[in-house]
Amino acid sequence: MSSTFDQIIVGEEWEDSDLSLLETLDHVLNRGIVITGEITISVADIDLVFVGLNVLISSVETAHEVLRKRQPE
Amino acid sequence: MKLYAYCLVEDLDALDAATRGISGAAVRLLHIDEFAVLTSNFDDDTVAVTRENALDHAAVVRSVLDRTTPLPFRFGTLVTEQQLRNYISARKPALQTRLTLVRGCVEMSVKIIREHITENNLPAVPGEITSGTSFLEEKRREILGTEANAAEAREISTWLHEQVANLARDEQVTLRSSEKLVVAAAHLVERDKIPQYKETMTIARENRPELHFLLSGPWPPYSFANIELEFKSQFGVS
Repeated sequence: MSSTFDQIIVGEEWEDSDLSLLETLDHVLNRGIVITGEITISVADIDLVFVGLNVLISSVETAHEVLRKRQPE
Repeated sequence: MKLYAYCLVEDLDALDAATRGISGAAVRLLHIDEFAVLTSNFDDDTVAVTRENALDHAAVVRSVLDRTTPLPFRFGTLVTEQQLRNYISARKPALQTRLTLVRGCVEMSVKIIREHITENNLPAVPGEITSGTSFLEEKRREILGTEANAAEAREISTWLHEQVANLARDEQVTLRSSEKLVVAAAHLVERDKIPQYKETMTIARENRPELHFLLSGPWPPYSFANIELEFKSQFGVS
């Protein structure tokens, strides 16, 4: 088991870590008020449409996959 | 010209002039009724999911967290000013209820992963099934394994709830019985209870050495800002 998940991290000390980025993505992409019922975002220039409450990225693991695919750019 | 919406707040009259949002745009407060929305101008029709944009969004929402508890909008929210005004006008009671719920609180996030999941629910390897009987036995193993994993997920979730029941004003819990990441929970915690919450989670973690924890926060209450869920449940539309 990797030790990266086996920790408690709170506040400013972890802001630069990869883990904090994944947690940030998990929060900002998955949650929050939806106003228009449709939000268009794009990953690697491919438009992806959120309809209603459907979400594109439903987990930290999937967010990690998005980041991994973006790395070659 | 569209507006990028970051979060909705109450009791906030001004922003730090240096606050910058997506693409470095200046962030301003748009006052609507008794609320205010942090917005910036946005020229395009789509918002790219990039590290920079996600962090910019998060930073703007976090920038007011010391002064008030914002209701974050989801990343990529582009609206006209009129759409924003119509939205707030139509959902004012729900927004007020949400702001009352989160007032004085922050969100703490807990993710729990387990070392192993019950292997009985793993798919059968092709070629191993040689008869109808063995097929049925394999299916039975799958069902039992799935049930065992679901029961374990429920047990962990219940245990976690009991640990923080006196500290969390509200919680959002997702169970993922078929994954190693078995429980993802968000707790709404009053700011002055954060030290006690952290201490409680440290002890809880020590009591369950077979599990692994990721505790992060404090966050703005992203997981407690979903007004649309209420609207859908009340009116049957989304």
